[in-house]
Amino acid sequence: MADKIKLFVNGVEVEVESGKNLIDAIGAVGIEIPHLCYHPALGADGNCRMCLVGIEDGRPPLVPACKTPAQEGLKVLLDAEHIKKIQHDVMEFELINHPIDCPVCDQAGECKLQDYYMSYDQVDSRMTVPQVTKGKKMDFGAGVVHDQERCVVCGRCVRFCRQITKTGELGIINRTDDARVNIFPGRPLNNRYALNVVDLCPVGAMTSKDFRFKQRVWFLKKAPGICHGCAKGCNITIEHNREKYKDDVIYRFRPRKNDQVNGYFICDAGRLSYKAENEGRLTEARLSNKAIPVDEILTAASKEIERAEKTAVIVSPNCSLEQMIAVKALAEKLGASLSGFSDGYIKSGDGDDFLIQDDKAANRTGLTLLGIDSSKQGFEAAVQGAKLLINFDNDLGLSYEEGALKKLLQGIKIIAITSHDTDCVKMAEMAIPVASYSEYAGSVINCDNILQTFGKAVTKNNDLADICAIAAGLGSPLASPEERFSALQECIGALKDLEPDQIPAKGLKLNDSEAANVTV
Amino acid sequence: MEVKILSAKFDIKDAHKIKVAKKHGAYSTLDKLFSMPPEDVIELVKESGLRGRGGAGFPSGVKWSFLPKDTGKPVYLAVNSDESEPATFKDRYILVKDPHMMIEGIIICSYAIGSHDTYIYIRGEYTTQVKALQAAIDEAYAAGYLGDKVGGHDYTVNVTVHRGAGAYVCGEETALLESIEGKKGQPRSKPPFPAVAGLYGCPTIINNVQSIASLPFILENGAEAYKAYGTEKSAGTHLFGISGHVEKPGMYELPLGLPLLEVIDKVAGGVWKGRKLKGVIPGGSSTPVLLPEEAKTVTLDYESMAAHKTMFGSGGIVVLDETVDIVQLVKNLIDFYHHESCGQCTPCREGLGWMLKIIKKILSGDGTMVDLNLLRELCDNIELKTVCVLSAACTMPVRSYLDKFRHEFEAYVANNDSSAAEAK
Repeated sequence: MADKIKLFVNGVEVEVESGKNLIDAIGAVGIEIPHLCYHPALGADGNCRMCLVGIEDGRPPLVPACKTPAQEGLKVLLDAEHIKKIQHDVMEFELINHPIDCPVCDQAGECKLQDYYMSYDQVDSRMTVPQVTKGKKMDFGAGVVHDQERCVVCGRCVRFCRQITKTGELGIINRTDDARVNIFPGRPLNNRYALNVVDLCPVGAMTSKDFRFKQRVWFLKKAPGICHGCAKGCNITIEHNREKYKDDVIYRFRPRKNDQVNGYFICDAGRLSYKAENEGRLTEARLSNKAIPVDEILTAASKEIERAEKTAVIVSPNCSLEQMIAVKALAEKLGASLSGFSDGYIKSGDGDDFLIQDDKAANRTGLTLLGIDSSKQGFEAAVQGAKLLINFDNDLGLSYEEGALKKLLQGIKIIAITSHDTDCVKMAEMAIPVASYSEYAGSVINCDNILQTFGKAVTKNNDLADICAIAAGLGSPLASPEERFSALQECIGALKDLEPDQIPAKGLKLNDSEAANVTV
Repeated sequence: MEVKILSAKFDIKDAHKIKVAKKHGAYSTLDKLFSMPPEDVIELVKESGLRGRGGAGFPSGVKWSFLPKDTGKPVYLAVNSDESEPATFKDRYILVKDPHMMIEGIIICSYAIGSHDTYIYIRGEYTTQVKALQAAIDEAYAAGYLGDKVGGHDYTVNVTVHRGAGAYVCGEETALLESIEGKKGQPRSKPPFPAVAGLYGCPTIINNVQSIASLPFILENGAEAYKAYGTEKSAGTHLFGISGHVEKPGMYELPLGLPLLEVIDKVAGGVWKGRKLKGVIPGGSSTPVLLPEEAKTVTLDYESMAAHKTMFGSGGIVVLDETVDIVQLVKNLIDFYHHESCGQCTPCREGLGWMLKIIKKILSGDGTMVDLNLLRELCDNIELKTVCVLSAACTMPVRSYLDKFRHEFEAYVANNDSSAAEAK
């Protein structure tokens, strides 16, 4: 925890954290200093001039708050008339050449120009001469569309590409009011985090081709979530909406700040992985590839399980800890061998040194921690001579070629309990649809041994069961959330003295011994 | 009234060549220089009262003493030859006519501040000047005055010429550093000041060509000899570029402190064609204009200019005769600063363009009193809200014209707005 210092804002003493600039330090206690160019992840640039404040100690009359460190005893002047006038004047300058096309702008509703106009400006335009015209609808590549006229030339996007991705595709060309963000000819945005510039842009200059014109942002419901695109477990906001007479649909994922996981950003693949929550889903139960009601398939599956002489169970590395422990308990009860084999989820060499991991599974650490064997030999030995394979959402098609998989599972009946309509479903005797991660609550442990929980974000019209419930329906003894949590507490030392709601929002960092915990 | 200190060799044929320059005393101060401790050189320059000749007039010796000691980083010297302000044409004479005086000054300054690497940032349009300068630097290297053993002394001075690409703002010292580093020429926020973190993050001193070129005289003749010229607080001589409506426009070296009108009359031959004086721009386009009655009392030094609410600036004096259309002049002025704004800070980027469009509207006859008042207000709204003073370099003079020649602007809007006539 950083040291606390005391300073004065408009003559009132406030206690703030030291080591921050005035915007962040004073902002943390609820006092806004308006700013457009400053972003905590990108540092201070000082070009927008919106954050100019007075310091009552004889220094230059105005300083940019973004470049001024919070210091003990500093007397910051924010509500003086001359400071308010600057904020108003800067807003006037920002807006004179702005198209003010809010009705057709995707940023409307989450736009700093709109917010600041309401807070700091609120006067009629005095612009009576022609506006500067610039480029519209420019395809910058990587799904980013740029509008130079809406741009306030704060340079956040430019700094992101220089400082964070270090790819430098963007620059500000030209001088004076002709200055504009652009790409170099023939060299579009080409990095795996490019869509973050859409979030970083304080106005509607950067829009996402994917999201443009799909929804007005104020209709979107926002729920915190954990991205299941890879082992990093980036924190996201799941933004969804149920339009009249339609289903609850996710429209976008946006990064949610978590300093110990992903900071302010997420990768583009993770961001766009929301589509897989909407599309390609298995929504009906199937018996021999024919749709039947879910309760009937459960009865049929139970009978099949009873009949089978030797059963193997496989679970997905994307499943939550709660699902894994429920499946594990089921396997133990059935005397079946349990595998978490999922080598196909790992794309060697695909990861980078920022957020993207080779392992595209969200909870492989959980598999290990619960003592579930993930080896190929283990899985192949388990299915050797088995009559039945119960597959909990593990996409074996990623780990095996189609022919090899058919050969391996020849003569084995498969019950596929799955969120998505994969090729495995076609091979299965029975298929049971289940909720995907935006539709259930659970917890996962990321590649850095950080245990994170998430809630149910989306409720579909056809509200599918959680794997935990299906496992219980098939005979797992861990039928209730309480039972599952206490079972987890036995396996994960760090959870021992915690109630479920005591797990920190920022995630629970497991120490080395807990992460290496093998209790089974 | 004219004196010949900086311009001593300007009239000598081929003085830009090292042979001729040496015959007339170039590089003669080096033995003395290297016999002195560097601190004594700084002290000498402080005593001489030499002030930065780029326009701001900050005491050079004091600037040097801001360098932090023992940082373990190299100290750089950057010579500002980006002379780009309208009406300013003094440094170009030094670069072409006596470049060795400046190189000698670079050696003196380098030794005083402990620098071994100098960058001369020269205005891109100065093609003749850059050729002359580079030729002189090559000669100085060949003669052993630059390089590892300067003049046979155990001291290294290397000089690199960096050509600008045509941006006025690169004359702002931190934009100049950005440009040398290969970045877009945009001023940096200060602090940190260049003396602490300048070129490549290292301590850096940036001096104007004329400041550097003044050093050999000071070293050779002492602080008192330099202070013998000028006033108590504005010591020495200055190269004045006198242009506009005078009989004899040109570059003249004068001691500081002379009465402005006397200089216009006696040195530059007075207002041309027997016309009346309308105003004087005292030190380059960015300095507020002086009315004839103000010009009567002002003298050519930093203090008197400040007392007349204008600035000494760069010594670029522009004389305006009675035929000048002030509104046209202001349009040209805003046009220049709008064109040269780096586009970094919101008020300057958006505001100067707005001002330009308003003045064009007024000139076209479509303007109203509302436009005129808005133009005046924008000067206040833009000024001092930005990282550098480029915006103020536009708004300060524009405000002075609006306030001192208000009737001329009102005449342009009178047809559209009856309130203008009433307001008078």
